[in-house]
Amino acid sequence: MEAAELLTRIEALEASLKMATTVNSEVFYWWCTALMVAIHAGFLAYEMGASRAKNALATGVKNLAAFAFLIPFFYFVGWYIYNAFPAGFIPGDASGALPWSTHMGPNLEDQASGIFWAAFTMFAATTASIMSGAVIERIRVSGFIILAIFLGSVVWVFGAAWGWHPAGWLTSTFGLHDIGAAGCVHMVAGFFTLGVLINLGPRIGRFNADGTVNEINGHNMAMSLIGLMLIVMGFFGFLGGCIIYTGDTWMTIYNTPTTFSAFAFNTLMAVAGGMLGCYLVTRDPFWMMSGALVGVISSAPGLDVYYPPLAFLISFAGGLVIPKLHNILLTKFKIDDAVGAVSVHGFGGVWGLVAVGIFASGYPNVEGPAISLGGQFMSMLVFLALGLIPGFVLSYILKMAGLLRCAPEAEEAGLDITEVPVKAYPESRIPAFGDGALTPAE
Amino acid sequence: MNSAPITTWEGATAYYTYADSPGMIAIWLLGAIAVCIYAIFSMVKHENAAYKKVKSNGVPPAL
Repeated sequence: MEAAELLTRIEALEASLKMATTVNSEVFYWWCTALMVAIHAGFLAYEMGASRAKNALATGVKNLAAFAFLIPFFYFVGWYIYNAFPAGFIPGDASGALPWSTHMGPNLEDQASGIFWAAFTMFAATTASIMSGAVIERIRVSGFIILAIFLGSVVWVFGAAWGWHPAGWLTSTFGLHDIGAAGCVHMVAGFFTLGVLINLGPRIGRFNADGTVNEINGHNMAMSLIGLMLIVMGFFGFLGGCIIYTGDTWMTIYNTPTTFSAFAFNTLMAVAGGMLGCYLVTRDPFWMMSGALVGVISSAPGLDVYYPPLAFLISFAGGLVIPKLHNILLTKFKIDDAVGAVSVHGFGGVWGLVAVGIFASGYPNVEGPAISLGGQFMSMLVFLALGLIPGFVLSYILKMAGLLRCAPEAEEAGLDITEVPVKAYPESRIPAFGDGALTPAE
Repeated sequence: MNSAPITTWEGATAYYTYADSPGMIAIWLLGAIAVCIYAIFSMVKHENAAYKKVKSNGVPPAL
């Protein structure tokens, strides 16, 4: 064979390999994005089931609207913020992520921007949906949407740029390690939600005059459980999207090498640990499935490095503690978090970040110092403030403007019959109040 | 209306509609933003009307 012909063949093979790598990368994130849509199907079912029948559709409208608004707003501002602000509040050059850039549309020279934008858009919608369940049955949909847009397109994105980015300042300064986004997604959303709940207040009838708590049961526990299982399924897309495909190997978002096997071992062990922990302290199937989320979040920051039984135990510990923290928020602080989002995501994220500092100190980073307990703790405080302060301030402004909470008459009558032009259960009489809807909490 | 920024696929890069026209891109982008903002205002208006109705009429008879 002539040398020139051989060279031509090698060049053709190289071009073919490069194309295969690009196609594989696009296909991989395409299906991660599709799986993440299951998270939103899950949130929809879970929250509609956790609402009383009189509010089921209004809750659904809220979730669907959040999904529809988050996508364009993340296109308008979110993707730019992620790319421009890894150093703090001073923007770097991210002109390729501006919505009028030639990279932000069909472009034969750029097969990465769209697919990564899509995956991050689903992360953004997930972050906003974390708040969604906590505020059901009394928040105005419009007020919620404003909060969701701000949380999903701005607030968490700063957290992601700072701590879930190869050049983020939390990693380069503190050595933050948070592979599964327990900080920027779960903690930020959880504490943002806490800030909102402080201003929003409890549902009518949640507390008696003497401060004792009434149980407000959702109308369809089965639907909630299926929804939670869908969220767990969607987490495999979420966590897959946390891994960078390079063609010949897999990398974490911090450019350290990893494998899918690492994530497979630890994600499943974490799900199981969280479920069992919550089962032992509650015997409640709703909390068992919330425990699956607690499990994933508790181990999320170290999914790439944990020994699987250790991930199981870290998540189990999270499962034992989180339901109790939810009860403390409810009974001591009178925070009516309808689905436990603050505890599951906020405190679950705190435990996850600190646990990496306790159990995985010393692992080297590509940028910045090695993983340490002090670095994880400092980063955790940043995420806490990043969530809580904007959530409180923005919801306070909405409250002052009369845009946060629906009218009490509407809340008592039911938001479906007040705001939604169709019926969830047209052949049933929906009890607005009473008929066992309210019972003293045990 | 010719929206194509290319006349051949040979050497094409950004090929989406109006990719070569910053003015038109600004119009579509601002239009999309305006729709989103309008939708929020519409939502507020719908809720205000619904609350006003339930306040004046009380709980609807279907309950």
